[in-house]
Amino acid sequence: MESDMADFVQAERPDGRPTLVASGEVDIAVVDDLLAAARTTLDRASDVLEVDLAGVTFIDSSGLGALVQIRNLAAERDLRVSLARVPRSVQRIIDLTGLDSIFSGDPDA
Amino acid sequence: MTPLGGPRDRHPWLVAVVMVLVCLLLTAASTAAASRADASTERRLLQGQSRQAAAVLSAAVQLIQEPLRTALGVERVTGDSGDTSAFRHLMTSYVQDNQTFVSASLWKRTGSTMTRLVNVGVPPSFTSGSSATAAFLRGAFATPTFTVRTAQVGNRVRLGYAQGDRASGMVVYAERLLPADRSSPVAKDSAFADLHYAIYLGDRADDTTLSTTDAPLDSLPLRGRTARTTIPFGDTNLIMITSARHHLGAPLSRNLPWILLLGGLLITAAAGLTAFQLVRGRQRAEQSILTAADLYAQVETLYDEQRALAVRLQRALLPHVNPDIPGLDIASEYVAGAIGVDIGGDWYSIIGLDEDHFGFVVGDVSGHGVDAVAVMAHARFTLRAYLLDGKSPAEALEKCSYQFDITLDGHMTTALVGLGNQRTGEITLATAGHPRPLRINGEDSSFISVPTGPPLGTGPTPYRSTTVQLAPGEVFFAFTDGLVERRNEDIDTGLDRLVSTLREGGTQSVAGMVDHALASLRHAHAPDDIAVLAFRWGGPSSPAAATASTARSVERIELPANEAAPRQARAFINERMSDPDPDSGPGADEVVLVVSELVTNAVRAGARSIELTLGVDGEKVEVVVSDDASGWPTPRVAATEDLGGRGLTIVDQLTTSWSATATEAGKSVRATWAETEDQE
Repeated sequence: MESDMADFVQAERPDGRPTLVASGEVDIAVVDDLLAAARTTLDRASDVLEVDLAGVTFIDSSGLGALVQIRNLAAERDLRVSLARVPRSVQRIIDLTGLDSIFSGDPDA
Repeated sequence: MTPLGGPRDRHPWLVAVVMVLVCLLLTAASTAAASRADASTERRLLQGQSRQAAAVLSAAVQLIQEPLRTALGVERVTGDSGDTSAFRHLMTSYVQDNQTFVSASLWKRTGSTMTRLVNVGVPPSFTSGSSATAAFLRGAFATPTFTVRTAQVGNRVRLGYAQGDRASGMVVYAERLLPADRSSPVAKDSAFADLHYAIYLGDRADDTTLSTTDAPLDSLPLRGRTARTTIPFGDTNLIMITSARHHLGAPLSRNLPWILLLGGLLITAAAGLTAFQLVRGRQRAEQSILTAADLYAQVETLYDEQRALAVRLQRALLPHVNPDIPGLDIASEYVAGAIGVDIGGDWYSIIGLDEDHFGFVVGDVSGHGVDAVAVMAHARFTLRAYLLDGKSPAEALEKCSYQFDITLDGHMTTALVGLGNQRTGEITLATAGHPRPLRINGEDSSFISVPTGPPLGTGPTPYRSTTVQLAPGEVFFAFTDGLVERRNEDIDTGLDRLVSTLREGGTQSVAGMVDHALASLRHAHAPDDIAVLAFRWGGPSSPAAATASTARSVERIELPANEAAPRQARAFINERMSDPDPDSGPGADEVVLVVSELVTNAVRAGARSIELTLGVDGEKVEVVVSDDASGWPTPRVAATEDLGGRGLTIVDQLTTSWSATATEAGKSVRATWAETEDQE
């Protein structure tokens, strides 16, 4: 199922803010790739790092752990992480684990 | 408190009084004896001194007689010559100083009359021619010594002595003047130094016969202890009465009676006081004993009441009838400790959970009494509730453990919790410090090895479970340590004894087996109570298995031991649960997520082989992830900043129940979803 393989692309929003676009299944197999991409993107961010989760079809506690680590890395640089276009299935797991309190994103309606 | 005064209580006072009386008696006796001894000594000393004085007095008498005898001798030599110059010459020396005599005269018998031949000194105190004078003087011829008379001249008394010589008819007569007051002080160094004396002339001692004394006249006669000595004095006697001027013996002899009296009184007082204190002490002690006995009686009553209450509670809490579980032959027994020993906190419990499953518990709360029974009730119903709620034995123990605190409860609670499937004969066991159960198949019996967890309430520790497969007809036998423990004996010895006892019992009914074990092993004076729960599994062909048959599919997959495993596992689940009914059973995405977490854990734990099993039975879903890693799934509450620690939280929230079981290779984690109505 190649389509489900995770992919992390560094992109840029129209307003110039760097955005990390994640897609596919985010689990233990890909967290290192996700973190590497996040570090590169963080280097270019000035205040907010946006993580676009619209293409994520699955995430488990390993993927959530990576998101927390990205947030911690950003905090070291006085940056903020914003989750964007969060699918309902992903948001459910975020809620389930209580992480909704630290990730204020705009869920994908 | 019993009032004092009975014969038993008065007795000590009697003893004290008798003791004091005896002391007084002894004191009096010893004082009297000492006093008597002193008196006897004094008497003896007085008599001794008096004898000495008498000897001195006798010598003095000789002094008086000697001149008279000498004068008579001189007259015998001169004969009738009528020359009286020798007599005059001789007596003048005795008369002139007035010391010995005041008058001395020589008389000659002529027929019946006495004629005075010569006189020296003052004239004699009687007339020459009277017949009385002649009679007195003639009397001198009748005695070899002399005769004595007294005569009052003026206010002075004279003693007259007459000594005669019958052959020549001559009589010498002399008079001696007694002191005016009859008193004659004694020289300090004389024989009379220690004595008062009174000398009487004649055979009577009275005022009229008093001759000489050293005492004032008005103090006569001498009183007190006196000695009387009679000394021959011419033709009569001198009576000398003596008394001691002072104590004659040693001072100690005189003081000894007083010393003994004083000492005796002191000893008596001390003895009386001691006896008094002893009696008082004894009475106090008796009162204390009475009070203590009362208290003991009250405590005994309270103890009995508490024990009765504990027994009633215990009986009320234990199941009266075991449930009828298809395919199982169940037997159980509770035996309280030996008589006089308090009720304990052992219990057993077995319940049917659904048509396939049953849960059971055998537990032991340490200690005795109502407190132990209360803790037992708490543990029993808590574990039962978790089992009814679909929790695995390990989960039930862990959740129950949170509700206990061994440091506060003061009781140690051990429990063996089991979840059985009466259709398959599979039993999952977890233990909180409880003795291992036995499996008995015919003559073979062995202890089931269950991963040991700590007793309940010892802290947040996860419990591990093990799953065993019973053979048809095999008996499961769980018990509390009261069955095997004996004082001063190694626990292994007791366990061996249990195994051999059950082997002796042979193949019999489960109830018979339990009865046999209790009859053989229960010690007559065993202090601890015993709970036993046993059941025989009839086998898969039993009616229970037939009625419970439902379509059930079980599929397994070997997963690679790397990070790709979770993805393959998810794909496996997604393929098998492609068409989930949204209204019944868990959604595929939930199962996928749980499986992903469980497999990820196995990968992280370093497993080298991972196996996934999916069982679907109608609306029920069960996944089992087995691996060979040594790690153990421990749920924890992750802080929001933590990177990990959320996996099992997700599993816990999405499944009906989950549990980890130790296997030969490593562990196997099972997650289940029950029917829809059980889900949130």
